[in-house]
Amino acid sequence: MFRSLLSFGLLSLTLTAQAQADSYAPRVGQRHADLTLPRIDNREAVSLSQYRGRKVLLIHFASW
Amino acid sequence: MPVWHKAAQQWVKDGRLVLLGVTQEQHPERCSLFAQWQGIQWPILHDPINALQTTGVPILVALDEYGIVRGVGPRLESFERDFLDKSFADGAAPNDAKLTPPRDTNALGREARTADTSDSWRRLGDALAIWETPRQLDEAISAYRHAIRLNSADLNARFRLGVCFRMRHETERRHESDFSDAVRSWEDALGGQPNQYIWRRRIQQYGPRLMKPYPFYDWVTQARNEILQRGELPVLLPVLPSGAEIARPSRTFVADESSTSPDPQGAIRRDSRPLIEATVTVVPTQVKPGETARVHVTLVPAAERKTYWNNEAEPLRLWVDPPPGWHVTRRLLVARPGEQPETNEVRRLDFEVQVAEDAAGTGRLSAFALYYVCEDVGGTCLYLRKDIPIEIPLVTAE
Repeated sequence: MFRSLLSFGLLSLTLTAQAQADSYAPRVGQRHADLTLPRIDNREAVSLSQYRGRKVLLIHFASW
Repeated sequence: MPVWHKAAQQWVKDGRLVLLGVTQEQHPERCSLFAQWQGIQWPILHDPINALQTTGVPILVALDEYGIVRGVGPRLESFERDFLDKSFADGAAPNDAKLTPPRDTNALGREARTADTSDSWRRLGDALAIWETPRQLDEAISAYRHAIRLNSADLNARFRLGVCFRMRHETERRHESDFSDAVRSWEDALGGQPNQYIWRRRIQQYGPRLMKPYPFYDWVTQARNEILQRGELPVLLPVLPSGAEIARPSRTFVADESSTSPDPQGAIRRDSRPLIEATVTVVPTQVKPGETARVHVTLVPAAERKTYWNNEAEPLRLWVDPPPGWHVTRRLLVARPGEQPETNEVRRLDFEVQVAEDAAGTGRLSAFALYYVCEDVGGTCLYLRKDIPIEIPLVTAE
């Protein structure tokens, strides 16, 4: 019982650590990974890389 | 956000800066309405499934001409001096990573069937959910389910599965359990990653006021009115936010003890065929004694019988009868009638319930809806009652 609880705990820790490692975390000085998503108004595909050569302020937000 | 939008307008006009938004909400039209209201014209991208894995918003990232991150959460006061006026060199290593899946769902489908890994099936689900039409939601749900079967710890797949369930719930292809399945999937995901605030917000959006950090879409009415006053037509919202989605947070529970039942003798004829189908979703899915939950009742005219609401008579009413020791915020709820004499829209009503301190097992509330409906065009119109049992599973303190 104790061993399975320990295993579960370790698994949970691993999962949490893994999940946190994969979270969005842009770092100053590193090149931002590209992303392509549809626009909310016309579903046209837009990539971040389209704006190479321009300074960009990327704003992650929600209307709520 | 409006602060940055206002401050950056001149920089954008001068060609010194590009603003690019990414929204993490399910409904793109709501964000479009917000943008119209605020006069935002820069592109906003839609990430309904949290493909980017942002754990909260807002996050602002300043990127130079080479795509290199020069600031995270920059300060407005020093933005021009520290970023716009500055020259940067291309000194970072290449980054070939992609935060979003490729768009070719056929290729991703082949890859998933060949590799048969959790990652490949999740990527297929991602592409279907982001790029395809609502008709492909069934396929996205199957892909995520397969990903979870292969790796039950795939929390991203669990959250995104929930998003697809909720999206399908808002289409004509909805399954009875979609909304409840959505909440359960979100809870499963959040259980493994409790600091994921984007995931947490999805549950709070539909949850009780005690759980809310802020009202989510209470700005919609004001935005529509102000846009109309400007002489513009507001962006149309396919699903109007109501109930939990516009409720203000509250730290107190005010119970409705005064309303009287509209059918105390149970005399109204029951909808036995049924002409209207009802589903119940409780958020959160399990509640502790003494705590509160939001109960959502969805009423849908039966498509196979071509049922429609008769809006020329009194509106649909929902009566809720809590057991002793339990309380509800409203015992009598009234649905907004359709705008035409006959309509067949989905009607959503929700209220909050406070569980009795000594409750255990599964709580049961009795409720019924009264409505005027007609069967097919020119068919018989009836005044009917539908009894809607509401079950609330309780978590008992150990």
